[in-house]
Amino acid sequence: MASISETLIQRRILFLLLVMLLVTGLLVIRLGYLQIWQNEFYQAKALEQRIQRIPVEGLRGTIYDRNGVPLALSVAARTVYAIPAEVEDAQATAQALAGLLDLEEDFLLQRLTKNSATEWLKKKISEEDARKITDLNLPGIGVVPTSVRIYPYGSIAPQVLGFVGIDNQGLEGLELFYDDFLRGTPGQTVFERDAHGRALEHGVRGYLPGQRGGDLVLTLDIFLQRIAEQEVRRATQETGSRLGLIVITDPQSGEILANAIYPSFDIEEFGKYPVANRKNIAVTDTYEPGSTFKAVTAAIAVNEGVASLSTGFFDPGYIRVSGWNVRCWNRGGHGSQTFAQTMQNSCNPFYAKLALDLGAQRFYDGLTTFNLGFKTGIDFPGEMGGTLRAPSPDIPLVTWANIGFGQGLTVTPIQLIAGFGAIANGGIYSVPHYVKEMVTEEGRFPPDIPEQRQIITGEAAEITAYVLRSAVEIGSGKRAEVPGYDVAGKTGTAQLVEHGRYSHSKMVTSFAGFAPKDDPKMAALLVLWEPQGAFYGGIIASPVFARLAEKVLPYLGVERKTQTAKTSREAAVPNVGNLTVEQATAQLQQAKFHVEVVGPGTRIIGQVPAPEARVDEGSLVYIYTDIDDNQVATDQPNPYGA
Amino acid sequence: MRIPRRYWRNLDWPLILSVLALTVIGLVVIYSASYTQLVTAGMSPLHYVRSQVVAFSIGLAIAIIIVSIDYRAWKRWTRLIYLGTMALLTAVLVLGQTVFGSQRWVRLGPMNLQPSELAKVALVLALAQVFEDEHNAQNPKSFMGALVLVLLPVVLILQQPDLGTAAIYVGLFFTMWYVGNAKTKHIIIAGGVLVAGTLGAITVSLRGWLSIIKPYQLTRILVFLDPYSDRNGAGWNIIQSMIAIGSGGFLGKGVLNGTQSSLHFLPANHTDFVFSVIAEEFGFLGSVIVLTLFVIVIWRGLRIAAIAKDTYGTLLATGATSVFFFHLVINVGMTLGFMPITGLPLPFITAGGSIMLTSMIAVAIILNVGLRRSKIMF
Repeated sequence: MASISETLIQRRILFLLLVMLLVTGLLVIRLGYLQIWQNEFYQAKALEQRIQRIPVEGLRGTIYDRNGVPLALSVAARTVYAIPAEVEDAQATAQALAGLLDLEEDFLLQRLTKNSATEWLKKKISEEDARKITDLNLPGIGVVPTSVRIYPYGSIAPQVLGFVGIDNQGLEGLELFYDDFLRGTPGQTVFERDAHGRALEHGVRGYLPGQRGGDLVLTLDIFLQRIAEQEVRRATQETGSRLGLIVITDPQSGEILANAIYPSFDIEEFGKYPVANRKNIAVTDTYEPGSTFKAVTAAIAVNEGVASLSTGFFDPGYIRVSGWNVRCWNRGGHGSQTFAQTMQNSCNPFYAKLALDLGAQRFYDGLTTFNLGFKTGIDFPGEMGGTLRAPSPDIPLVTWANIGFGQGLTVTPIQLIAGFGAIANGGIYSVPHYVKEMVTEEGRFPPDIPEQRQIITGEAAEITAYVLRSAVEIGSGKRAEVPGYDVAGKTGTAQLVEHGRYSHSKMVTSFAGFAPKDDPKMAALLVLWEPQGAFYGGIIASPVFARLAEKVLPYLGVERKTQTAKTSREAAVPNVGNLTVEQATAQLQQAKFHVEVVGPGTRIIGQVPAPEARVDEGSLVYIYTDIDDNQVATDQPNPYGA
Repeated sequence: MRIPRRYWRNLDWPLILSVLALTVIGLVVIYSASYTQLVTAGMSPLHYVRSQVVAFSIGLAIAIIIVSIDYRAWKRWTRLIYLGTMALLTAVLVLGQTVFGSQRWVRLGPMNLQPSELAKVALVLALAQVFEDEHNAQNPKSFMGALVLVLLPVVLILQQPDLGTAAIYVGLFFTMWYVGNAKTKHIIIAGGVLVAGTLGAITVSLRGWLSIIKPYQLTRILVFLDPYSDRNGAGWNIIQSMIAIGSGGFLGKGVLNGTQSSLHFLPANHTDFVFSVIAEEFGFLGSVIVLTLFVIVIWRGLRIAAIAKDTYGTLLATGATSVFFFHLVINVGMTLGFMPITGLPLPFITAGGSIMLTSMIAVAIILNVGLRRSKIMF
């Protein structure tokens, strides 16, 4: 047996040693890279996976009406969560919680044994129930602050306000549009845990409270809103309509004072109502405006010098437009008329002629400055534009002629009332809006609303307003007349478009107007879809406007021009401000008024009609109460504290 | 049995002291790593430390016996030892307990024995005997014989399955073959065949043509390439190990203060991932000290191999030393994300009886060869 030469062995062993040292050296380099070079990165990673964060929402801001009456506000509540890894006896824990949370034991057991870091068990329970749960001291069960949305005066303007979901996120309406502002900044509960999710006894523990969201002050007025809601319900029911809408604005500012829709829904139980009831059709739906649109055609024509008060027109009952006969609703024709008379008679051929005289481009440009057929930029989600096509050789002249009297285009109700507002307000157009002020800790800010702009001359607006006044005074809208207030406005009736054709039986009837003519404080639009029986705007829509103006204008402090003789006895409404509900009711009943109490509180903060206003004896007086202060807890206590 | 006095001078004290230091460090780390787990379970925090001390004592006794007997006298027992361990390896497949999906342990009286650890020593003895003759490394017939000696345990161990230990056998074979006068050309060819074969097996298994490599092993390989592809599953261990090591920094977080280790993020923290705990709690400094101690063990072992009295002694010392080296590289490399995850212990430090006994026997073999290095002139 021969032995290997010693030199070969030593060379080879030396080589082995070098290889082994080299490989070990690589391990050292790797260690240095991880432990020194990347130390901070891995320290952060180690900490990050030990830290468990449970979000705590900020309290959602309040939505006030223009008088500061809270319409929607959030009060503190509690959400119960579980850390499954820390739950010791899932069966017993589920049993103990089932009763308190009103949940199935099996459901709880399944949540408590789930392989996850945290599980929500039930959101939005009362603070009282939450205390019962924390008193049980169940390992792995915790409580974090949350909130519930309450509506102290009930479901006011629900389609405008919208509502929030289970996580207090805005789902529709202003709650959605201003969600980021209302929502606030979420805080969090932080604790250190091990790999199984168990909190460490001496680990990092922290609580960062959420920041309260901002508050909104709306342009809506709760008193006017309630009047509008009553009137739209009454009008819709009396006429057997499928759907009704009333929008009241301040034409001088574009502020929307009331926005009522019937049928409506209960904001607290929105899930139980059809989606159609929840839509704010004033903004999100379009319709064919019909004759109310003649006001706009008139304004553009006067502004462009195509028409003036001295313009006369002979109506044979139709007008020929490139081979088509555009007929007047009055087949016999209105004969010879002044400009004002065409509005009083609602004479279609004249407004077709105005459109033709303007020419497609000028007419289109005028409509564009009125935002008709275009989004207004209102602060509301899901605004619709409408249909108005730019002039092109494809669009026959007769289409423009039809648009002249409000047919063949669609607009949203809010576009039309904004247009009427501009006519009422000396030609100054205001973008309609729902929010008056946004309030945060830093102060009060106006919302981001485009500035007012002059779209027609003051003279053109004045002439149009005069013509519209005459349409109420002696024309088709005379049922809108209110003694002592100069109402200007126009009725409209259009056939409903169904499946791309005009329906013969279904109508949309409306009245748009403003008052008083010389210093308008209110503009209003009433639209009724598919009324039964008499459907002309002049017959069924005009009286609603009169009833509205009768209540709204005194409330807004507008003096009647002349006192007309009254058949029934009048009395001054006593001032019941600051009294208790019982005292106020007694006083009003003594003065022979009917009383309706609105609100959950005990003290009176407002009344309609206003104090000292003279109204008929036996009229209904609404008194508005404050809200129960105990319900409005705005603090968010530390869940690890008391 | 008396050992001549001059032998004691030949005892390699740097090697002995390094081994003692590593064992003591191991006891501290085992205590720290298993503390919360044991306390939570209501057990004594010294539970694993005690077992480890017992294992070390037994290993020490065995080592003293081994050192006392001249290594040349072992030759006639080699065949018996080799066949005995192969029988144990077979037995473990039949009788063994399944832990973490592998059958590695067999019960022997009061303790669980891992035959694949002890079989390393048997293989070192057997291969040293083959390659002692300088011709055998280049003679096809004897080479095939040596190949059979290593393939038998490798195939048995792959059945458990235990890829890491099998890899150590292969490394052991190459090292001893190389020192045993292999032609460099042959080493390169064999290495090439091995690499090609491994890649081929992986490819074939990945494509699903033949399941040579088991799916869980494939997952480990894929996860090794990108741990974050399954961060909460197969990639968890390696990610947590790297976080533990990286967050340790230069000086470490201190004993019992390793958050990764004590908060259960790091699995198997007193066994397979014990080095991650060292790196987390003792930092870069502590890790480098541990690696340096291993380097001393390797250096002294190879030095003894180089100055051994005969080729047989050289091969024994080389084999025993390379066992430490391969364990070190595969285990530490795994914690650093250099190597796929295998359940391979770190000698002297990982809590466990079998690896402690094997390590002590390997140290004893090296010391034995060193002790009797002076040429005896009669």
